[in-house]
Amino acid sequence: MGRSLKKGPYVEQKLLLKIDRQNEAPHKKPIKTWSRRSMITPDFVGHTFLVHNGKDFISVFVTENMVGHKLGEFSPTRKFAGHSGHNPKIKG
Amino acid sequence: MARLLGVEIPNEKRIEASLPYIYGIGPSTTKKILEEAGIDPDIRTGELSDDQLARIAHAVSNSGLLIEGDLRREIQSHLKRLTSINCYRGIRHRRNLPVRGQRTSTNARTRKGKRKTVGVSRSK
Repeated sequence: MGRSLKKGPYVEQKLLLKIDRQNEAPHKKPIKTWSRRSMITPDFVGHTFLVHNGKDFISVFVTENMVGHKLGEFSPTRKFAGHSGHNPKIKG
Repeated sequence: MARLLGVEIPNEKRIEASLPYIYGIGPSTTKKILEEAGIDPDIRTGELSDDQLARIAHAVSNSGLLIEGDLRREIQSHLKRLTSINCYRGIRHRRNLPVRGQRTSTNARTRKGKRKTVGVSRSK
């Protein structure tokens, strides 16, 4: 079920603060965050985020198309390494 | 076979049953459209006069519904957006796996297609 429109999008307050600080800074640096649940708002566009996936921080450059999605959607938490015994190099 | 809205060719069924042959029009939109056009849903499509067909076509184009090619193109553009921004849903679409969190250990055959067995290559 989707979130009630009445409440508006959810964005971690700290993250907004960090973005404000980045906007004033001379150089844009990637923003490290664990807040996968934050909705991407138009203010995010043009920033690079390092989104935690439980293990690493995946770098996500936010473009206009991404608005309305959440940060976590761009940082996959699972890694499929293939099935055992399935090696495409060795045939037969 | 009557021709409606360009290429569509619904057959000799009741108009209520043949309108849903158009991609993008289902049973409930059919009802609304027929009501809008003021046509009895029980008439056979073949027995409709040209005027009545025109009224249906008019009602459909006035309703602002996307049908056929336009709708297909719209859906494709949504898919393209999802894959291009590299989000989870886009990745699932790319790999032809279920998008909405369904299990894939078993089932999910609609997305994964026919079963392909992977043989175990035994070591010597």
